[in-house]
Amino acid sequence: MRRFGLRRLDQYLVVFIVAVSLNFMLPRLMPGNPLALLAGVDVGLMTPDERAEVIRQVGLDAPLVSQFFDYWRAVLTGDLGFSYRSGRPIGEMIGERLPWTLLITGASLVISAFFGIIIGAFSAWRRGKKSDLTLLTGMIGLQSLPSFWLGMLLISVFAVQLGWLPSFGAVTPASDLTGLAHVRDIAEHAVLPIATLTVLSIPGVYLTMRYSMLEVLGDDFIRTARAKGASESRILFGHVARNAIAPVVTFLAIRFAFAFGGSVIIETVFSYPGLGRLVFEAVSRRDYPVMQAAFLVFTVAVLLANLLADLLYPILDPRMREQ
Amino acid sequence: MSSSATTRRPGKTKSATLADRLGWVGAAIVTALVVMAIAAPWLAPYDPTERVGTPFLPPSADHLLGTNDVGQDLLSELIYGARVSLTVGIVAAIVALVLGTTIGILAGYYPKRLGSFLMRGVDVVLTLPFLPLLIILAAYLGRSLINTILVIGVLIWAGPARVIRSQVLSLRSREYVLASRTMGAPDRWAIVRHVLPRTALLATGTFVRAVSTAILLEAALSFLGLGDPIQKSWGSILFWAQARGAFLTPAWKWWVLPPGLMIMAASLGFALIAFAMEERINPRL
Repeated sequence: MRRFGLRRLDQYLVVFIVAVSLNFMLPRLMPGNPLALLAGVDVGLMTPDERAEVIRQVGLDAPLVSQFFDYWRAVLTGDLGFSYRSGRPIGEMIGERLPWTLLITGASLVISAFFGIIIGAFSAWRRGKKSDLTLLTGMIGLQSLPSFWLGMLLISVFAVQLGWLPSFGAVTPASDLTGLAHVRDIAEHAVLPIATLTVLSIPGVYLTMRYSMLEVLGDDFIRTARAKGASESRILFGHVARNAIAPVVTFLAIRFAFAFGGSVIIETVFSYPGLGRLVFEAVSRRDYPVMQAAFLVFTVAVLLANLLADLLYPILDPRMREQ
Repeated sequence: MSSSATTRRPGKTKSATLADRLGWVGAAIVTALVVMAIAAPWLAPYDPTERVGTPFLPPSADHLLGTNDVGQDLLSELIYGARVSLTVGIVAAIVALVLGTTIGILAGYYPKRLGSFLMRGVDVVLTLPFLPLLIILAAYLGRSLINTILVIGVLIWAGPARVIRSQVLSLRSREYVLASRTMGAPDRWAIVRHVLPRTALLATGTFVRAVSTAILLEAALSFLGLGDPIQKSWGSILFWAQARGAFLTPAWKWWVLPPGLMIMAASLGFALIAFAMEERINPRL
């Protein structure tokens, strides 16, 4: 039933339309005055004249349909509006934050893919043996770890008790480091967030790889390979793992999208100045326009990740290409 | 080593006993937590909302896990926290189960127009960035137990709906369903009499899995300060631990470690039961 390639584009379009419409509707549907949600001012303290002025500025006096179209025009032209706490253009704020989130989610994805695939392949190869069952049980346990708690513990142990790594931020404040020292500083700050995200991502990669391997192990061409006398390691890496990898890539794309959204929690724990932390700050300051804009960026990131997986799948799985 | 890949049977039975054993471990954990939640007033040494000691006390005979930033007993907070976690987890999973089963059955039984429309909705919900949406909805709706439950429930039904739909889709073309339809029975009859009972086990499995997910999500929302401000949950204990920097002091051992272990135990307990059930229904090991 799976459809691949660009044929799922229409579905992604629907998701985008739903996300934008949700953004438009939420502040207008909530109980109370939408003005407070859209303009973020203490509406109660204003005189009726001031209030009317703000309503006109925000465009709440226009008919709903034309508000809707104005909103779409703004989104499509990349106009994300202004934060009403700092007054800065939101696009600029997001541009500053995005690289940090990409750094930690991207790095953790690569590392967890590496370990998840190897351990998953090993586990499937040892299917039903003690090592397989122990790994499987351990991975199920890891899936129940609360992400923020793991982050807090890593800070307590590695940053506070042992003092090996910094506990917050992405760079040492006011240090003016340059060149290699600067890179090293960034790397040291990124270790713990990346480690947290990696530990959380490995079980999913592992389980996908293991199940996918088990399916392939039952296929006829593996028996053929064995019959023609191929060595065990050649069967494992040349035949089984190669054919089992495609579903893992799809999973990784979904996982990337999930980790990207999960950065809201991880970056809050580590006070890491990425997009997730921006969402948390916006939520606690009731800065609704920033919250909404960040949600749109998350949506676009998810869609791009899915699209990439759809395009990669036929390349990785030759059986799909032939059909 | 060389035979392990091709001989499937012995492995299957071994894995099956593992799944069963893990299922029982899960059941034991869940039972213990339910007892703790119900018996909280008798088990807890203090009222968790009362200031019963000096703030920031380390563990002592009077306060086994010390006190928090306003002098409330941390052990009592921990015991009462089971109530919020389990309530939110179970009720949110019920919301998800009702939505997921209804939509899954309708989509599976009427696969053409209604089904493809509903499944499109499922795809959209599954593709939207999950956690940011959860947080934004919670922020707009405001902090209360009911809102936490609703927000989690309406976001986690899509996975179960998809699983149930594929089951119903295959049941739909079985002889007994076709027979009852040929004899003029209304769809309602076929669904209630034939489809629903054979979907119940699968639905229960997805329900238990949803409880496990919902417990983690409640903890995350409370940790971000989006939970009910009046109800103390494990997530909100960690919110205050974070806000007061407890994890930067030795207090992490009694203030940060225990609530996280409880969240993990609760989520894992249900996950293990779900794992055992899924292996029974559809052995994939």
